[in-house]
Amino acid sequence: MNNLTISPPTAAPFSRQPAALDALQARFALRVAARLTERSQGLEADVGERLRFAREKALEQARASRAASASRPVGATAAGALLLGRTGSGWWMKLASVLPALALVAGLLLIQQSQTDEQVSAAAEIDAALLADDLPPIAYSDAGFAEFLKTPRE
Amino acid sequence: MASDKELSDFLKSVEKRAFKRALYAVRDEDAALDIVQDTMIRLAEKYVDRPAAELPLLFQRILSNATMDWFRRRKVRQAVVRNFSDFEGPDGDDFDILETLQALGGSLASESAADSVSRAQILLAIEAEVAQLPGRQREAFLLRYWEELDVAETAEAMGCSEGSVKTHCSRAVHALAKALQTKGITL
Repeated sequence: MNNLTISPPTAAPFSRQPAALDALQARFALRVAARLTERSQGLEADVGERLRFAREKALEQARASRAASASRPVGATAAGALLLGRTGSGWWMKLASVLPALALVAGLLLIQQSQTDEQVSAAAEIDAALLADDLPPIAYSDAGFAEFLKTPRE
Repeated sequence: MASDKELSDFLKSVEKRAFKRALYAVRDEDAALDIVQDTMIRLAEKYVDRPAAELPLLFQRILSNATMDWFRRRKVRQAVVRNFSDFEGPDGDDFDILETLQALGGSLASESAADSVSRAQILLAIEAEVAQLPGRQREAFLLRYWEELDVAETAEAMGCSEGSVKTHCSRAVHALAKALQTKGITL
């Protein structure tokens, strides 16, 4: 039977520095871990048997998982990815998702510009008509003339 | 992708420690075996396509989750509180971790406990002290020093910060050193 005693650590006195304490702690912890390993080697036979059974079940499961992943239809996976929009590089995917938004903004700007042009055009027509008329525009602000316009003509 | 042999070798290398970890947590041998089996099957089912190098960390995370699931299923509120409480405060005595660790490291070698107590009993006592650690401390200690994960991996497996891992480990070492010193056990 081996002796548990281990040769003493370095004889040099430890200073109370964190590094020295850490090293001492680690050495102590590793010694405890070594004892635990030694203790765990002496497991009862039935425990060892159950662990072996568990390991074999896990290996069977691993083989089944590998077989399932190998037999998965590649086309279906690719089609699913295509439907979900997961193909291509990330940069192109981002660009493609931004394009509809850009088109919408451009369309709205065009509509606004078109409406502004129409308003300007209508105002210009009114101005032109007023200026081309024999009656000066200031006549419309004259109260007497306004009354004259309201009067029914015979 | 890990091959059958790689997966088998990995599971074989880790199964005993995994069983012990689960046993420390749930304190029920059958439940611990069920947890280890669930863990192995979950790993094989969902992560078989991962490279072999990723298996240790994945396995530890699944084992932790499976243990949590067991507690949830059993709804043993007290057990959960006992195993996952981290609020134990300092004892307020003059216990000196540095002196204790130095002493446990060999200064008491001349009066080795192996002279009077059998090796198996000492190992059992050490294991009992580890099992009595608060759950998070024990988990951090075992992942860090028994499974030999680094601090970042331990933090990832436990779902906490690296600082918390260091704190849990330090407290666990402190508690173990104190307990073993009390029992006169040298390492």
